[in-house]
Amino acid sequence: MYCSVLHYMVSRKRVVGVDMGNSLKKSQPEASLDRGSPMTVDGSSSEVVNDDDLNSPQLGVDMGNTLKNSQPETSLSKGSIIAVDGSRSETDIDENLHSRQLAVYGRETMRRLRGANVLISGLQGVGVEIAKNVILAGVKSVTLYDPGLVEALDLGANFYLTESDIGKPRATACAQKLQELNTAVVVSVHSSNITHGFLSAFQAVVFTNSTFEEAAAYNEFCRSQTPPIAFIKADVHGLFGSVFCDFGPEFIVFDVDGEEPQTGIIASITNDEPALVCCVDDDRLEFQDGDMVVFTEIHGMTELNDGKPRRVKNCRPYSFLLEEDTTSFGIYEKGGIVTQVKQPKVLNFKSLREALKNPGDFLLSDFSKFDRPPLLHLAFQALDEFKVQFGRLPAFGSEEDAIHLIRLAKQINEGAGDLKLESIDEDILRRLSEGAKAVLNPMAAMFGGIIGQEVVKACSGKFHPLFQFFYFDSLESLPDEVAQEHGETVSDNRYYAQASVFGHQLQEKLQDAKVFVVGAGALGCEILKNLALMGVACGGKGKLIVTDDDVIEKSNLSRQFLFRDWNIGESKSTVAASAALAINPYLRIEAFQNRVSPETENVFDDAFWESIDVVINALDNVNARLYVDSRCVYFQKPLLESGTLGTKCNTQMVIPHFTENYGASRDPPEKQAPMCTLHSFPHNINHCLTWARSEFEGLMEKTPTEVNSYLSKPEEYKASMVLAGDAQARELLEKVVECLVAERCRTFSDCLFWARKKFEEYFTNKIKQLTFTFPEDSVTSTGALFWSPPKRFPKPLEFSTEDPSHLSFIAAAAYLKAQTYGIVVPDWAKDFNRLAEAVNEIKLPSFTPKQGVKIVTDEKATSLSISASDDSMVINSLIKVLDENASSIAPGFRMISIPFEKDDDTNYHMDLIAGLANMRARNYAIPEVDKLRAKLIAGRIIPAIATTTALATGLVCLELYKIFLGHKVEKYRNTFANLALPLFSMAEPVSPKVFRHQELSWSVWDRWAIHGNITLQELLDWFESKGLTAYSISCGQSLLYNNIFPKHRDRLDRKVLDLAKDIAKLEIPPSRRHFDVVVACEDDNGDDIDVPLVSIYF
Amino acid sequence: MSSPSKRRDMDVMKLMMSDYKVEMVNDGMSEFKVEFRGPPNSPYQNGMWKVRVELPEAYPFKSPSIGFVNKIFHPNVDESSGSVCLDVINQTWSPMFELVNVFEVFLPQLLLYPNPLDPLNGEAAALMMRDKAKYEQTVREHCEKFAKPEDIANPSEDSSDAELSDADSESSDEEMAGASDP
Repeated sequence: MYCSVLHYMVSRKRVVGVDMGNSLKKSQPEASLDRGSPMTVDGSSSEVVNDDDLNSPQLGVDMGNTLKNSQPETSLSKGSIIAVDGSRSETDIDENLHSRQLAVYGRETMRRLRGANVLISGLQGVGVEIAKNVILAGVKSVTLYDPGLVEALDLGANFYLTESDIGKPRATACAQKLQELNTAVVVSVHSSNITHGFLSAFQAVVFTNSTFEEAAAYNEFCRSQTPPIAFIKADVHGLFGSVFCDFGPEFIVFDVDGEEPQTGIIASITNDEPALVCCVDDDRLEFQDGDMVVFTEIHGMTELNDGKPRRVKNCRPYSFLLEEDTTSFGIYEKGGIVTQVKQPKVLNFKSLREALKNPGDFLLSDFSKFDRPPLLHLAFQALDEFKVQFGRLPAFGSEEDAIHLIRLAKQINEGAGDLKLESIDEDILRRLSEGAKAVLNPMAAMFGGIIGQEVVKACSGKFHPLFQFFYFDSLESLPDEVAQEHGETVSDNRYYAQASVFGHQLQEKLQDAKVFVVGAGALGCEILKNLALMGVACGGKGKLIVTDDDVIEKSNLSRQFLFRDWNIGESKSTVAASAALAINPYLRIEAFQNRVSPETENVFDDAFWESIDVVINALDNVNARLYVDSRCVYFQKPLLESGTLGTKCNTQMVIPHFTENYGASRDPPEKQAPMCTLHSFPHNINHCLTWARSEFEGLMEKTPTEVNSYLSKPEEYKASMVLAGDAQARELLEKVVECLVAERCRTFSDCLFWARKKFEEYFTNKIKQLTFTFPEDSVTSTGALFWSPPKRFPKPLEFSTEDPSHLSFIAAAAYLKAQTYGIVVPDWAKDFNRLAEAVNEIKLPSFTPKQGVKIVTDEKATSLSISASDDSMVINSLIKVLDENASSIAPGFRMISIPFEKDDDTNYHMDLIAGLANMRARNYAIPEVDKLRAKLIAGRIIPAIATTTALATGLVCLELYKIFLGHKVEKYRNTFANLALPLFSMAEPVSPKVFRHQELSWSVWDRWAIHGNITLQELLDWFESKGLTAYSISCGQSLLYNNIFPKHRDRLDRKVLDLAKDIAKLEIPPSRRHFDVVVACEDDNGDDIDVPLVSIYF
Repeated sequence: MSSPSKRRDMDVMKLMMSDYKVEMVNDGMSEFKVEFRGPPNSPYQNGMWKVRVELPEAYPFKSPSIGFVNKIFHPNVDESSGSVCLDVINQTWSPMFELVNVFEVFLPQLLLYPNPLDPLNGEAAALMMRDKAKYEQTVREHCEKFAKPEDIANPSEDSSDAELSDADSESSDEEMAGASDP
């Protein structure tokens, strides 16, 4: 009910407030927002943030309480009542919108976020990036503060400012567009001075571009509050950035890493001190020394089932020591599960002033620059001092200002006491000074991601905060030498800052670049924004091609920030392209709707690939990445690769001849549970959900499709089944007969009966059969207990309409079954009471387990022939049944196949899957899950948040500069980062593997070219001349030659080209004068040699 | 370079060169049936099965999918689908393994040492645990009924051997190598 109210309010607000349709184009209705008092964007209520009732800074973030566990509900509801006169819950979360983010944060964190008020001061590039990420995350309110006016310079990094905004107040100029990102967040602008009273309304405040003294004063006030207000200071100058966090003297983190608690299945426990606990070797244990664990389900040593957390040590892959004296405990018999208990962690933050003198350990991002953070700590202090003394930042490229900065740094260093550096790298200070005025988009994107995440941490206690300083530079992105500018300096140009740092030459190269962005999802949206701001492909010769075959869905909107809900159903690439164009109208962008794959090589043909300068992957699956990688290797194009998973991301640079390609290293494939486990022996909820999803697909999608393929061509279908004549064909036919004859549903009551019967079959009869075949005390020939861990002994369920989960399973199954037959669900069936009455009428025969196994010998022959008789005989009799009943099926009747759709909460799909999984879990006494959790697991929803994406794409764009500068490999960086920890690990890319044979050497980037329309024999000879024996030659999927086939010798005199055309059916476009063959060969020792692809130019 | 597709071709080739009869399903190198004999000194020794092999796109990084086509009575093989539940060809598969290993080591081991503790065919597992002799007898009966070599081997489609003995059918080797899609 709340949801619908919220929905109504949201849409109304949008209509009244902002002219959304126009906003993407240009002409903002210039709301006069420069009044001096804070006001919301839609102008409806200017007091929202300053409302006295809101001054309680405890909204939902009373960490002291929440952490003692399980009261968050209360503290939150308090927050929500304060928020809007108790009429609606502020904490309702739109789970369809936020499903990918919920997969990272969980409901509790999202609820805390919903209660948080955040201030962002400074709305240049970094500020707007932070605001975007925090608004997408879904806090309660974001207040923007920036007394400055928009300059042309700002357009290079603030994606919501346009040329028409120049001269307007910065915060107001971008507030409307920020509001559009998430109408559930109150976005407002504060225009008067920042007072203590004003600050006290927030849970987190972020200051970008404040002087140290200013910031330190705010920081002191924030710390003095109860609870303290989280304080973040961010400064990004050119290619240098720093973040400082102070979340108060005693900040409690309740989840330090965001990982699921680890579990193990116990095999034995000793009576000892400490006790040795061994687990089954099903999965490796991931406990770490010092972790706390609890036990459940232990037989024998039941004292451990008391729920008390105990500490572990000496953790091994399958065992650990437990800090407990178990000598007097019962003797371990069997069973038991050990589960990690996540421990909250208290962090004692220092104030800015204190931490400046005593910064502790710096978070390192690049081990090749381990001495950089202390230097940058000094450099940023010097820069602050420069601002104070000169009232401005150092001018672009000013030698004079650089000298001042170096002097100030030296002065500060002299008085730095313990922190005093022995030597100062003046060149680095000079670089900082020269570019300090610039806000570069890639840096802003990266820091916007990092700081956005810190705000989330501050508001929720989820994940480990940055403690406390982080310094970063990307000096490697600079040209070796910035060409001195001649002539006019165009300071009113949006690229002025970037051009000043990198030189106009590079700026021109960027603008004339031809870039291919593959994918317009989360990564794609951020990449396009970055490219537009950087001016990539915004010049006369430039071209930006983006392709994506997907359309926009609601769940995309929580992070794919170029999309709005009125774009749902539209092409991602088209909408993203026009949004990017709104950011920079000079962008020369073209949107395609093609998947990049072997099937679209007519679209993305040779000429296309050859015209591209650089490829940027923004993909979400490994296969597509591998394919683009292979094309980039083939056409020798640089590829910028990145990916995210929750708070983790990685970036990989693939530079022709310098680095290995993407496909050169692979992650191990995902672990799948063994089939037998899924079939009969699940031991965790994932097993149940995997089974449930596959049952859903069988019942609702595949079987109706199978029935339809019989119905549309009965004779052909029957013939193919007879031809196959195997067990699979028989199984398929059985299902068709079931749907059309044996269990054909004609009314909803039939569907209800079917659903009830399915319940009995799945959760009662099958379990009875299984436990009959394997009684609880079954032993193997060696005496081992059959039902030993990880197997769990199941118990059948007894159906009852009193049990709401039984009934909701029946309802979902019956509704969907009805849908497959096109039967309308009658209104009465939506009423669970009446549904229950109807279900209670259904009587099912009681089940007796089959005597399959205990057959006596002399009966065996007959029973065998019946139970496992010939499949073709059964097939024939099934076909006979179908024929006999063919007349009862109305002509043209078809079933409706229902493919699983996870993102629609009203379609009953997840109800059925969650029902199936949870009932099965109940059979096996596995803890059940709620529908959301079920959806995340069964829907294989990949956790995704805006912050990580922003970080990854910022890093990618820092590398993009290097490509156009033609940097050597040692200047590139691949990154792995995890914002939850936080961790940044940057390293030089790995060089490609070089193969050698005699005097030859080659890598994946090489191809061997042979000119001339040669014969197969000549090709073999060519290899022979290199001391290699070619024994197998193939083209595409086809084999042209292999020396094990004597017959292939007949081909030796034929042209390879003709063989390729005849055998491999190769079609060569008229424009192409070559084709490629794969050659397998060995050297004189008979060792296989991996040789490059061979291109024959005929 | 050592592309997955090259590796796939080589693995199939090696299988053929080790004298396994390989029958391609559809065109292409990714789906085929292999004749497999029960290992000596096991109740399966007189049986012969066609084993369906599907190589996923990511082979050899992802494991091949293996299934018995004609019926086999075995605790770890699903009775109706023929699917095999074996860790080395599912969970613990490594790209270092080759198809030849599956037929020379993994499947013979599976038939020699069934694991009734992780059954796919509960009946077979329960029988093996309770009455080994009866289990073995049932296996032999199944072999006799469903896995007789003379019923399984299909002389007319005996492609790879014919190849090696220099038979002249032009089409068969391309089929084996997998002709490209028309």
